[in-house]
Formats: sequence, structure tokens, C-alpha cells
Amino acid sequence: MVKDDSILTLHQVAIGYSKTKKGNHILFDNINLSGRKGELIALIGKNGIGKSTLLRNIAGLQNVLEGEVLFLDKKIQSFKRNEFARLVSFVSTEIVNVSNLKVFDLVSLGRFPHTSWFGKLKEKDIRQSLNALEMVGMKSFIHKNVNEISDGERQRVMIARTLAQDTKIIVLDEPTAFLDLPNKYEIVHLLNHLSKSENKTILFSTHDLNIAIQEADKIWLMLDDEIIQGAPEDLILSETLNRIFKASNLSFDKLKGDFRIKRKHSKKIGLIGDGLPYNWTRKALERLNYAVDKGNTAIDYIVVKPVKNELNWNFKSENGTFVFKSIDELSLYLKTQTK
Amino acid sequence: MIFKFNHQERLDYTSRNIILWIILSLLLVLLFIADIFTGSVNIPVDEVWRIITGQSTDHPEYLTIIYRFRLPKALTAVFAGFALSVSGLQMQTVFKNPLAGPYVLGISAGASLGVAVVIMGISSFALVSQLGVIGNWIIVIAAWIGSGLILFLILMVSVRVKDIMTILILGIMFGSATTAIVNILQYFSNESMLKAFVVWTMGSLGGVSISQLKVLIPGIFLGLVISFLSVKILNAMLVGENYAKSMGLNVGLSRFLIFFSTSLLAGSITAFCGPIGFIGIAVPHIARMIFKTANHQILLPGTLILGGIILLFSDIISQIPGKENTVPINSITALVGIPIVIWIIIRNKKLSNLG
Repeated sequence: MVKDDSILTLHQVAIGYSKTKKGNHILFDNINLSGRKGELIALIGKNGIGKSTLLRNIAGLQNVLEGEVLFLDKKIQSFKRNEFARLVSFVSTEIVNVSNLKVFDLVSLGRFPHTSWFGKLKEKDIRQSLNALEMVGMKSFIHKNVNEISDGERQRVMIARTLAQDTKIIVLDEPTAFLDLPNKYEIVHLLNHLSKSENKTILFSTHDLNIAIQEADKIWLMLDDEIIQGAPEDLILSETLNRIFKASNLSFDKLKGDFRIKRKHSKKIGLIGDGLPYNWTRKALERLNYAVDKGNTAIDYIVVKPVKNELNWNFKSENGTFVFKSIDELSLYLKTQTK
Repeated sequence: MIFKFNHQERLDYTSRNIILWIILSLLLVLLFIADIFTGSVNIPVDEVWRIITGQSTDHPEYLTIIYRFRLPKALTAVFAGFALSVSGLQMQTVFKNPLAGPYVLGISAGASLGVAVVIMGISSFALVSQLGVIGNWIIVIAAWIGSGLILFLILMVSVRVKDIMTILILGIMFGSATTAIVNILQYFSNESMLKAFVVWTMGSLGGVSISQLKVLIPGIFLGLVISFLSVKILNAMLVGENYAKSMGLNVGLSRFLIFFSTSLLAGSITAFCGPIGFIGIAVPHIARMIFKTANHQILLPGTLILGGIILLFSDIISQIPGKENTVPINSITALVGIPIVIWIIIRNKKLSNLG
């Protein structure tokens, strides 16, 4: 029997905007989800489907239209403002870019629900803030201004602020949106690490599906008509991930764990070889709109093999055999052939 | 994990501030005394010194000038500086707008409208000036209501429109609209009302009487007390209302507190001195430059004291030595403030979220 350490439950929730005239505008309804302690959850879905609204509802910035949001079996409405701020912290897509705001001052703002009316920091608050900066690897930045650091560094500082707020649950709206590729991986990996080392439940929305698959314990998948949750691997095996971009030209490659464009292949070509050279030659041929048939020598075909530590591509057709030293040369030849 | 907290680092950080506080406080006191020494009537330095140190003087008229005119004027300058700069800081933080201030957002104009309605409306029954202290209270309350009204309007707009420039332009629109209404009021008022109003619009730092100070100072004092009680709120609002709310801030109550304080501060000064421009925008930026922080625990008192210093300084240079007339204070503050505003615009090509 699996121990139930659930911390967050959404029961029959409807989200959207409350309008006075036409009644409520519902973006998404019938949402049933849950999160456990120490779990990193990625919220995935198309643009405009209601990811931000869902996160704002969970972070208490907006009220659900129907249903219940429960934290530790207690309704969200029954929490006092301060009590809730000690349970859930939030990072939005807004970039905090205030001149002369020191990194330390921004992070120690996270102590807001813990300090007195005047916000005076006690020794404990200062220690917790520095501790939070240490956890995200930004301790040497305390005297820097927030508008003078990079986007990746600022996102780490924003995460440190939620750590200083000392909440069991952290909600982040697209924390990787403005970042370059290495920073995307590092931020999500940091979230994964924090969820385990600090036993925090971390919920984030993202468009970087392959990163989410690698790092998240659970995916909340917002499809057009329903919302499905599960371990990323379970969603892959059950073909659920394929349904995200149903209408588009994308399909999910279950082996590689990534999306690829569905191509309309015009010509067939045979390919012989193995290992990495085979894989990348195949990719190149598919890019050139060939349908690759492994080992078929009855049609035009290519043999890729190493010759004296160098790779050779032999193209064989009824016109004879041609040898190429690189995929670039090969593809140039194939392009002239099709013309 | 336990960290050895680096005390030396923080101590350096605050010891620099302590030195700044001492220098600025001394400067404020010195300028206050210097302001009493300067004026259109030439009083010898030693006579002024005797009077302010409480010694007897052979010239009773000097005593009158200093106690009835120069001391109230210097006090008005200090409090006007405090009030305008702190209200500017609060507006910049709440609207997350580096160019916000009571004058630009039309809050001073709103206060003028309140006063105009009272002077030209009540004057049909009795001249406000004849009502004495009660008349002063009526004027100042009208100014608070007028400035509060404009603040509320701007708030309503800023909920829908996030663009800084749009809000500034709307502030200017509100300001122009209130000025237009004031002009129409003037058109419909009779001669005695008009005279009372024109006298008020010519108000300057020097035009505030002791009985008016008794209304002005408590009003500003209350506004400043609320402001100092809101330091934590202001710090949270610096990062935007979503973040502030997610950290447990009661946004509605906080806005009310800060707007109430701003109306008290900007309204009181406008009620008795007329609109004084650019102090509200410029001083918070000077404070940020000097103290190199956005933390209101340091920035708020810093802005306060610098506001007092700059308005005293402006008042001193508005008294041209040897001349009987003084240059209008509004011209001096504009010349001091506008270069700073231009510098802000040039430095921050992108004016978003600079608070």
C-alpha cells in the first residue's frame, strides 16, 4: 500500500473569469488533480488553454468558479492571508526589474508573512534569506542590484525568495520562459533538487516538454477537453502525450522522448550502417523528405561506414556508386538529383 | 545548514548610512537656520542670532518679523519638502512608475479644485478668510477630498491600463480637466469670491500664517505617521501587487492606507502653498542615488530629509539678496527638478518597472 502524503487536491474545479453581465466565463472545468509532498509537478498545455489561470487559482490570487481547492484537506478559503502565505509561495511571469533593489532585499521580502508590522528582519530572517540564496547558488550576489543580473540569475533569486518565504508548496508560472537552453535545464533541475532535498511540492508550468519529461515526477497535462495527471513515463507509454498537439503536424517519438514534425515522404531510399552514423544519416535523409527503408538494396541506397577512421557515405543507384566525405556533400548531391 | 552570518558586511552597509544621516541632519538644521537669516528685510546676523537664542533685542520689529514671518515660512518649507517628496515616493512605488508624483499625476490639481469649490462656493455666504481656524480646516479638508478623488480615478484607470506613459498622460488630462473646471468656476463667481481665490492661488511658502500652520503641520504629521507605518507594505508593493498578495499582503487595505496618506500630504501643502511642482518626482530619485537602495526602511526617511533640505535650499535662493520681492518658489523647484526628470528619462530608455 502506498503511503498517502497528499498535500494538494483539486476537486471538480472550474476556472475562468467571473463576469457580472453574462455570468461566468469558464476556461476549463471538471479539474481533478492532486500533488504529494516532495513532488515536482510540470503543468503542460497549449497557449491560452488556462495554465496561468489554474496556477493563479492554486496560488490564491484568484478564486475558483466551482469546486474546491484543498491544502492538507483544508479548504483554500478557510486559510487566513498570512497563514496561506506561509503555505504557498508564487513566482509569476512578471519580471521584477526595480532599480537599486538589492538581491538580498528582494529575497528577504520573502520573510514578509513571518515578520512584524514594520518588517524588521531578525537574526533568524536574515539567516533564512542567506540560506535560501545559498541553496540556489546565488549567495555571492547579495549586494548586487536585481536589474543588473542576467535572466537566469534573476530567476534563481526569485526562487530563493520563495525558499525564504519557507512554504511547503511553491508555484511557478513558466519559470523557463525567458531563459536560454542551458539555463532552462539548470532551473528545472534546481527545482527537482529542491523538491527532494527540502521535501517541497513544486508546481510549474512550461512549454519545454522534453525537460519536463526528464525532471518532473508528475505531469499535469491540459488537453482540449480534459486534464490528465501521471508520471511522464506513464503518459508516454499510454500514448497520452501524443494527444497534446493532435491537430498539428507534430508527433511524439516514444523512443527518443521528444516531438518531431510529421513529414510527407515522397521518395524511398535504402540505408545500411549502424550506430550513431546510421541514426544521424537517417535524420538527415528524413529532413530531405526521404522515407528511409533500413537495409533495402532493391532501390537506390546509401551505405555509411568508417574507412580508416573516417566516415564514408556510398550512394548506389543505377548510375553507379558515388562516395561522399560528409552528410553535407551527400545531401547536396541528392538535392541536385531530385531536380 | 547554519551559516556564520557576516556581521562585518552588514555593519559596513549601515555605518555608511549612519554617516549619511548625520551629514543630512546637520545640513537640514543649518539650512533651516540659514532660511531664518535670509529675507527681504535686512536684519543683521547678530540680531537674528540673539533672537533665536532667546536673548533680548533692542529692535522689537525684528522679533515680529522673525516669529511671525520667517519662522513660519521656514517651518512651511521643511514640512512642504517632507510632504511632497514622501507623497512622490509613495506614488512611484504604488504605480511602479519612476515619473509619478503629486504634481504630474494631477493630485495637486485635484486639491486646487477642492479649494476652488470651497472658496467660491462658500464665499456666497461668508468669506473663508473671515472664518479663521475653521475656514482653514474647511480649505484643507476640501483639498484632501479633491486630491483623494483624483488618486481614486487614477487607480481605477491603472487597474485596466498598465502602460506607464498612458497613466502619466491621463494624469495630465485629469490635471487639465480640473484646471478647466476651476476656470469655469472663476467665470461664474463674483468679485469678492474671485479675489479670495486669486489671493489663495498666489499662496507661497511665505503666505502661510501661524493659524494655518496649526492645521498644516498636524495634517502632514498624520500623513507621515501613516507613511512610516506602511514601510513594509511599500517594500512589498515594489515587486508588484501579484507578488505582494502572494506574500500575504492585504492589497485593498494597503492601497487605502497609502492613498490616504498621500492625500493628506499632497492635499495639505497644496491647500496653503498652491501647487509646487517637481519636488515629488525628483527627491525620491536623489535619495535612491545617495542611499543606493530601494528598501523603504532607508529610502523613506532618506527621501523625507532630502525633501526638507531641497525645499529649504530652494526657498533660500528664491530670496534675492537686496531685493524686496522673492522669486516664486514654483519656478525654483521646477529648475531644480526638471533636469533630474530629464536625466531619469534619458538614463532609462525603457521606462518600465523602475519604481
